Amino acid sequence: MRLLKILLGPYLLAVTLAAFLWPKPARGFIGESSRIVFFHVPCAWTATLAFIVAALASIVHLKRRDDTSDEAAAAAVRLGFLFSALATVSGSIFAQVMWGSYWNWDPRETSILLLLFLYAAYLFLRAAVPDPERRGVFCAVYALFSAFVMPFLLFVAPRVTESLHPQTIINKQGKILMDVPTKTVFFTALFGFTALFFWMWSVDYRIERMKRRNATL
Amino acid sequence: MTALGYVAAANGVIWIGIWLYLLRLDSRLTSREKERS
Repeated sequence: MRLLKILLGPYLLAVTLAAFLWPKPARGFIGESSRIVFFHVPCAWTATLAFIVAALASIVHLKRRDDTSDEAAAAAVRLGFLFSALATVSGSIFAQVMWGSYWNWDPRETSILLLLFLYAAYLFLRAAVPDPERRGVFCAVYALFSAFVMPFLLFVAPRVTESLHPQTIINKQGKILMDVPTKTVFFTALFGFTALFFWMWSVDYRIERMKRRNATL
Repeated sequence: MTALGYVAAANGVIWIGIWLYLLRLDSRLTSREKERS
């Protein structure tokens, strides 16, 4: 496991350098703006994955009522929120380059903002309930509710109306519209971000576990 | 080096910083956990 963590460094470094230096910019985009796909989409994917992990950990918590699953769910939500925020900021920079404004109230921009609010409420809920047992149950139920809302915000709402957003990976044609270098860098970035998430997640909940043990001593 | 090369290098340096920080945090956590067990 330690070796994988060490290898992730050069792996994502190579992905970063390749993202800028290997594929040519996509047609129909201003300047080099299409390169955002190597960062923005993996961030959005990692956020989705984190919220799914949070929902699974919440189910486990509702069954077992143990601290570990509660901490694992909270850590996943924190990271999901972080990666959603990164996807929002990177998307906003892209919007400024392509559409001349950082924020356009595009359906996709609006839906990710609502997603951020949805999970910010989870973090507020955690901070608001002092009793660990009640907090665990409340947060688990809320994380499950949010997991039902999340696919609607990410996959349904942005497709209901016309959007400025470029074609997504899941599109009407059912094809990945990328050339080979773009596809290669994109999927290696996606894999690297997934590995990075699981590493960050384990570090986060181990810190929380240690804090709890210190508090109970 | 081109402008894009500099941007790539800057992003690479940022990532290496994050990675080294995570590695350090991870190994400190592991040694604390070992101390406790």
